[in-house]
Amino acid sequence: MSDILAAILIALADDELIIGHRHSEWTGFAPHMEEDVAFSSIAQDEIGHASAYYSLASTMVGQTPDQLAFGREPGEYHNAVLCERPNGDWAYTLARHWLYDNADALRLEALERSSRPELALLAAKIRREERWHSLHAELWVKRVAEGSVEGRGKLLHALAEAFAEVRGLFEPFDNEERAIAQGWLTVPSPVLGARFVETTTAALDDLGLPVEIEPGAITTELIASSSGDLIATDEDSASITPAGGGLGGRYGRHSDDFKALWAAMTATYKIEPEATW
Amino acid sequence: MTTERAIWDALEKVKDPEIPAVSVVEMGMIKEVDVRGGRARVVILPTFTGCPAIAVIEQDVREAVGSVTGVEGAEVEMSYDPPWTADRITPKGRRELKAFGLAPPTGNGPVLVTSIGLPKTALCPFCGSSDTRNENPFGPTPCRALYYCSSCRNPFEQFKDV
Repeated sequence: MSDILAAILIALADDELIIGHRHSEWTGFAPHMEEDVAFSSIAQDEIGHASAYYSLASTMVGQTPDQLAFGREPGEYHNAVLCERPNGDWAYTLARHWLYDNADALRLEALERSSRPELALLAAKIRREERWHSLHAELWVKRVAEGSVEGRGKLLHALAEAFAEVRGLFEPFDNEERAIAQGWLTVPSPVLGARFVETTTAALDDLGLPVEIEPGAITTELIASSSGDLIATDEDSASITPAGGGLGGRYGRHSDDFKALWAAMTATYKIEPEATW
Repeated sequence: MTTERAIWDALEKVKDPEIPAVSVVEMGMIKEVDVRGGRARVVILPTFTGCPAIAVIEQDVREAVGSVTGVEGAEVEMSYDPPWTADRITPKGRRELKAFGLAPPTGNGPVLVTSIGLPKTALCPFCGSSDTRNENPFGPTPCRALYYCSSCRNPFEQFKDV
């Protein structure tokens, strides 16, 4: 049974590691210096959260957090596809940051009630830190939404683009129903997804941003569509149809974007896996 | 002096390498110290999950406790129970943070105050003015935010509320 929990912890960690890696790509390149600092710091937080989740899983699976973070093949990572997409422009970065941190806040609120005390306590700790990320994301989305016509237009476009893949964050984990039965998870992912649509719709409305969200956007069954760039790297799950709409990540199905990210992220580790820092 | 008292004294000399002015005890990071038959156990509450200094602090605590007379083995644990919060910093710790040039946390968490949502201002650690503004809710370490004092015209950092 502990392998079921370990797999869920690793998927949670993978989301944080991969979005953290994307945020870290702004180090030295953000449009102004304060944001260079902010995204670097947020990246450090997210990677720290990933490390904490991997640490919980590591005793269950007999691998170190570093081995889990950098020693797996692409098809073994279970992060949502949304996390692996390139930063694109500043608007996409902000849109994804805002959507991801809103989703993460709902997820952490549910994890805080986990029957596994070590997970509940970690979630409570992470949630306190994540308030700063939400504050940062809200500040920027609001600033751009109330700003120039051009910026607002770019933000609207980016929100629609990111939202199209957001459901991957609410794709059920492997053996989720068993984890729910044990009380390790307290809210099924599709239910969290429905809450997310509700709160996000209200927030967009408050901001006066007309982003069209279909009512069943998240809860709709995991419809298989063949968007060409999704790759299947895990032969064992070949029975699962390659997914579109941001789905597939929880089953190790990633976009080509992930391959490039993975190669860069693991390059140093692979030179000397046993090195200590 | 009991071994336990001696361990607390030893811990007073362990500092966060990024804030060398304040001990881990004053920062409220030590949850408990246990001594049983020469075996010491210390539980640390990390300030921020992603704090890169934690591994160094853990090592320093192990060494400090291990060198106390009467201690034959030291065990150091990390815990999030309870989560470390800003109100764990002792009054002495707050004074030391300020003397180091780092504004202590407000204790209010991230609070929205203006229409574009800047966090509540901190008191300037140099001149004490409240005429300060947040420049960035993030800073050079996970635990710091950047401010500017409009009164003495110094930039400064605050240990963030969490």
